[in-house]
Amino acid sequence: MQIARLDGVTKRYGRTEGVRELDLDVGGGEVIGLLGLNGSGKTTLLKLLAGLLFPTSGSVRVLERPARAARADVVYLGEGDALWGWMTPRDAERLFAGLYVDFDAGRFGRLCESLAVPRRTARAMSKGERGRLRLAMALSRSARLYLLDEPLAGIDLLSRERILRSIVQEWHGDETILLSTHEVAEAEGLFERVLYMKEGRVVLDAQAEELRERGRSVVETFREVLS
Amino acid sequence: MRAFRCLVWLEFRRSGVWAAALLGSLAFWAWGLFQVRAVDVAQQLGIRLLLLGIAGAIGALVLALMVGRLRGDTRAGLFQMLLMTPPTGYVHVGTRYAFAAATAALYYMGLGGLAWWTLRLSGLPLDAGTVAQLALGLPFYALGVSVIPLLAWTLLLVTFQSAYRVSGTGWIPGTVMALGTPFALRWLVNGIERVAYALPGWPVLGSVGADLIEAAQGIAEDPAVSVSLEHPALVLPQEPLWIMLALAVVLLLAAGRIWQEVEA
Repeated sequence: MQIARLDGVTKRYGRTEGVRELDLDVGGGEVIGLLGLNGSGKTTLLKLLAGLLFPTSGSVRVLERPARAARADVVYLGEGDALWGWMTPRDAERLFAGLYVDFDAGRFGRLCESLAVPRRTARAMSKGERGRLRLAMALSRSARLYLLDEPLAGIDLLSRERILRSIVQEWHGDETILLSTHEVAEAEGLFERVLYMKEGRVVLDAQAEELRERGRSVVETFREVLS
Repeated sequence: MRAFRCLVWLEFRRSGVWAAALLGSLAFWAWGLFQVRAVDVAQQLGIRLLLLGIAGAIGALVLALMVGRLRGDTRAGLFQMLLMTPPTGYVHVGTRYAFAAATAALYYMGLGGLAWWTLRLSGLPLDAGTVAQLALGLPFYALGVSVIPLLAWTLLLVTFQSAYRVSGTGWIPGTVMALGTPFALRWLVNGIERVAYALPGWPVLGSVGADLIEAAQGIAEDPAVSVSLEHPALVLPQEPLWIMLALAVVLLLAAGRIWQEVEA
């Protein structure tokens, strides 16, 4: 089943092109790695799918609707902190439970436990702890499409491992996850499909299994394709 | 409804301290009014009414700042997060506004109560109708023609700023908005002046009895500040109230529309 589709999408920021002439089909139940160097268009692509950006040309459809109209069925975890300083995990639960009908408070509690999220205000948390809280909030929803933009960035090794473990545990097989990361080696085991982006284009769209059958790892292909 | 309640709670968490500080400041103003020690009763009344006027102006400023500081959401991805939530932009803008307007209503009703107390301290007897007008009618009118549209304008401005930022080409409409406001305001005031009193006036404090008039004249030594017996009732034009309330609705709809259309 198709979850999202981009047809000839170009997004310009003034004279710069974030993505250009992008065609992409995203199917249901896929875990897709979005890999590329800085400025390759990963965040732009995720924001277009989230409906946070509108394409300059082309069309973005998510669940057969314009992307923004589908936002109730989409989780977007952006790069910023996106937490108020006064917010505790309990406040976060109250906020999401009030705003999203698909929020599962029990799941949130379990995730906070497994991700070792402290019961402090966000102001008193470290960057890694805030990242883990945000991930717990995001994964506690039963959405169709999860767009995770650099959830591992700037986070210590143990926290990164916890986060990846939680993503695996909470994936039930029918949701689609698009995960952009620079921690390619650590996340590679997660991906079924990998999109390599360069200068606003998808230069390689491959199944991770196929790459491995050819004796190439996701990391090796990354170096080969993007260097 | 659940989302609306949740967003009201969010507003309370974000701006509750500001609202509590503003409402708490009423105690400070009450203390200030009580401290006025001028010998002349009319002078006392004048100073107290001046203090109430200052309290009103400061309240409007604090409320505008309370609404305006929400542009901080733009930073750190909070605006993005709110934009991704199911409630529409109109609901988000409406909740922010409702919280600020409710705080304003409580504050200005409190000031109305202090105005009644001021008159009592000056030895002016007031009947129940006048007290109701002072504590409810006048604050509602004052809010309607000033603070309500001011808050809507501020909310539009911060939504605009959150949406487009004052960078890139965004500064052009931003500058037009900032520079155009005084002209729009002048045009608005001229228009209101032209239509004022076309509808029947609102006799605020119309129930002020002859006793009050006499008492007020008795305490006023300066004939210039004495209350004229020919105009015992304060009759306010209705038009500014309805025009400004309509303007506030238009500004809020524009802010909600920006929220709906913006990129983040």
